[in-house]
Amino acid sequence: MPDGLAHGVLDTPAIEARELTVGYGAHRVLDRVSIKIPVGSWTSVVGPNGCGKSTLLRALAGLLTPVSGRISLQGRPLASWPRRDRARHLGWLPQWAAPSELTAFECAALGRFAHTGWLGSRQAQDDAAIQRAMAATGSLAWAARRLSTLSGGERQRVQLARVLAVEAATLLLDEPTTHLDPPHQEDVARTLREQAHSCGVTIVSAIHELSLALTADRLIVMGPGGLIGQGTVQEALNGDWLSQAFGTRIKIISHDGTSLWQPRLRGASDD
Amino acid sequence: MIRRGLTILLILLLSGACARRAVADEPIVLRDAAQHELRLPQRPERIITLLPSLTETVCALGQCGRLVATDRYSNWPDSVNRLPKVGGLEDAQIELIVSLKPDVVILAHATRVTQRLRELDVPTFDVETRTYAEIYRSVAAIGRLLEVPDRAATLNRDIERTIDAIAAKARQSLRSRTPLVYFEVDNGPYGAGPESFIGEMLSRLGAHNILTPELGPFPKLNPEYVVRHNPDVIFISPKEAPNLGNRPGWDQIRAVREARICSFSPEVRDTIVRPGPRVAEGFKAVADCLARVAP
Amino acid sequence: MSTAGALAPTGEAAQTGDGASRFALWLLACGAITLVLTFASLIVGTSSIRNSIDWLLSPEAQSNTVLWHIRLPRAIGSWLAGALLGVGGAIAQGLFRNPLAEPYLLGSASGAALGVTVSLIAADTSLTALAWTGELGVTGAAFLGAGAGIALTVTLSRGVLQTASLLLAGIVVAYLLSAITSLLLLSSPDTWRAMQAFMLGSTAFLSWRSALILGVALLVCAVPTILLARGLDALTLGEETAESLGISLPALRLALLTILSLATATAVGQVGLVGFVGLVAPHLVRESILVNQRQLLVGAALCGGVLLQAADLVSRWAIRPAELPVGIVTACLGGSYLVFLLWRRARSA
Repeated sequence: MPDGLAHGVLDTPAIEARELTVGYGAHRVLDRVSIKIPVGSWTSVVGPNGCGKSTLLRALAGLLTPVSGRISLQGRPLASWPRRDRARHLGWLPQWAAPSELTAFECAALGRFAHTGWLGSRQAQDDAAIQRAMAATGSLAWAARRLSTLSGGERQRVQLARVLAVEAATLLLDEPTTHLDPPHQEDVARTLREQAHSCGVTIVSAIHELSLALTADRLIVMGPGGLIGQGTVQEALNGDWLSQAFGTRIKIISHDGTSLWQPRLRGASDD
Repeated sequence: MIRRGLTILLILLLSGACARRAVADEPIVLRDAAQHELRLPQRPERIITLLPSLTETVCALGQCGRLVATDRYSNWPDSVNRLPKVGGLEDAQIELIVSLKPDVVILAHATRVTQRLRELDVPTFDVETRTYAEIYRSVAAIGRLLEVPDRAATLNRDIERTIDAIAAKARQSLRSRTPLVYFEVDNGPYGAGPESFIGEMLSRLGAHNILTPELGPFPKLNPEYVVRHNPDVIFISPKEAPNLGNRPGWDQIRAVREARICSFSPEVRDTIVRPGPRVAEGFKAVADCLARVAP
Repeated sequence: MSTAGALAPTGEAAQTGDGASRFALWLLACGAITLVLTFASLIVGTSSIRNSIDWLLSPEAQSNTVLWHIRLPRAIGSWLAGALLGVGGAIAQGLFRNPLAEPYLLGSASGAALGVTVSLIAADTSLTALAWTGELGVTGAAFLGAGAGIALTVTLSRGVLQTASLLLAGIVVAYLLSAITSLLLLSSPDTWRAMQAFMLGSTAFLSWRSALILGVALLVCAVPTILLARGLDALTLGEETAESLGISLPALRLALLTILSLATATAVGQVGLVGFVGLVAPHLVRESILVNQRQLLVGAALCGGVLLQAADLVSRWAIRPAELPVGIVTACLGGSYLVFLLWRRARSA
């Protein structure tokens, strides 16, 4: 499998934010944050609770109006994209899914809304995209069941299928793995890697399970004071960004070529 | 059958559901209280009334036999109780009315009913009876409609004479006193103001209403108002009469202290509150009570 | 929906079978019930006419008037008004993503009541006003009042940006307008009688003209709503998701609100304040079959039509030859259904 990073080093980043400031009233969640996401890479956004991971993703998706700063998608300002084009090129997966009476298939099919529009009906390529997306997330088995009858994990996989069905060039995923058990978390991680490396999709995800987050290509590390660093996972480990973000409570070990987070359950003196 | 129905539906939809009026000799042409013109090909023999006062007027003119149905509240004279009832004024049963094939329906102003009946080619005659003057006018109008104008004129004359006589006698017995009165119409309390029909009656009898014209015909009062104005006589329903002393502050009122209360049975009350041909009876009932209890 | 069958290899999908054909069956069932109810409406009435085909075929002119000009337009008009309320209920529940939403939420009921009160009082005050309101009629006044109520709600919530503020503004407007209506009624007790008739709802005055107005309104409302149904589907996944799929939420809300106002105002104008039909119709559809929003809207229209038609029939039959106000019948039916739902929930909990 070719190294996704080699594909990713292009002049135009897939998505870019410059001096992004987002706040609610007097409270600033993001203060002059600048990031660049290269094409065809999978970037994990990590950081302690409340540091602005979701807010960053929302702002990048165009769901929030920033106080100041600019966001560009594929080199063009986000605000200049016509609504439907943007929907076709930018997929969004929220953290909380509202309870819905739709069937799993209908939910996944909504991912094609940006392509079919209000009046159009699904074509063969739409059905194929939906099938691929549901197969990739292993949710074909309950295609006809209503979302409200599925478990949290099953629902999450259907939602992921929806966002994959958009077949957008850039995906923004807010906590796509929270309800999944480890085998399925692994499936998702594998799918995301494949999308990024083989299909050239740019993925930005906020994942709070550190070990999983560390399987991505790049990291954006945020802390209580703002952005700490952005770069490859190795750069993040070398620069010990994670300790800065979480205080000294994070210990990363390397095992079998994978970086893992090791919880320290005994006292500090036992280290 | 279905095809026929569909054809009719199509015609109606295309022509906008216009009603077709019969064009014939029109010996009766009248304008009713709503300024609509009523044309009847001949003397109306089948009549429906939708207000008790209108029923009573028709019967007082001796035309009870022409009634085929009344509203549910009409109860005088007794023969009327045997007639079919077609609901109230606002919720009249259109289908029942139409199936009775009336020549004319006499009612007071009621938008939806009037409109619907006209759409269905049922002639309607609007009569307003809210003031004394309107009583005489309505009797005359119905008299013209039923082609008994002389009886109507006689009836009006009789009513007027009787009322004048009662009023004169009442004033005489009061000498120069003007008792303060309060007439309670409904729980609320709602009182009868001087501009209302009942208020007119009271002032003709020489009583002075504690309510002023600015309050309107049937205002909802602050009970304190009645206490402050201290009426000499209170007119109230027999159900409320024993409880007057329990109303806060009302035991101070002269009428309550001295037991100068007038209550009427439902039958008598009908003659007082219905602006129809029996007003003279109502007049007499009120005058008698006033003479009895006024200080 | 047949694609679902093709994609799903296991049993769960197979048991629901082909969704589209189930829906078609359901539609046919509704259509059949409607026909039965219409036929029943023709033979049940306050005049004690015998239940026989011979009578139906008789050429009597009078019975034809009763049949074709009173009963048939009443049956059809009730169905159309019920369909409008059903569509309104489905839109309200989709828009606010709340199964307790109903078409009167945004001040349309209180606005209509106020409109009727004002027109009745004005008619009493002067002859010119009488002429004007005679032209407009109770139906026109109720229609304008309902529209004004909704406009006031939208203005109060400062545009359609926030669903929560719309709901809140709707409550405020409802209280405000009812207070004004009560004040006006106090000053003019004569209109109280007429208002009562309106508030309880009545299908008794439906004519062919009413049926035409209702039919046109249903077409004008139903067609765009069905086109917008996919947006409502996306909305069930959350507002942010819908936006990310390329839907302009303010535009969608504005379009849906406009359709909701038109549907509700027209229905209220013709039959007064009939409750529960808008609330219950979408629920009944969802309980019986699996639907997406497009099917829900169509289903709710048919279901609402059947409900109000049945209520009209009951109101004419239950205490014949007298009539129950149809609003009371729908309240009883709707209330019982909600009690049944609660009981079922308690049992399964």
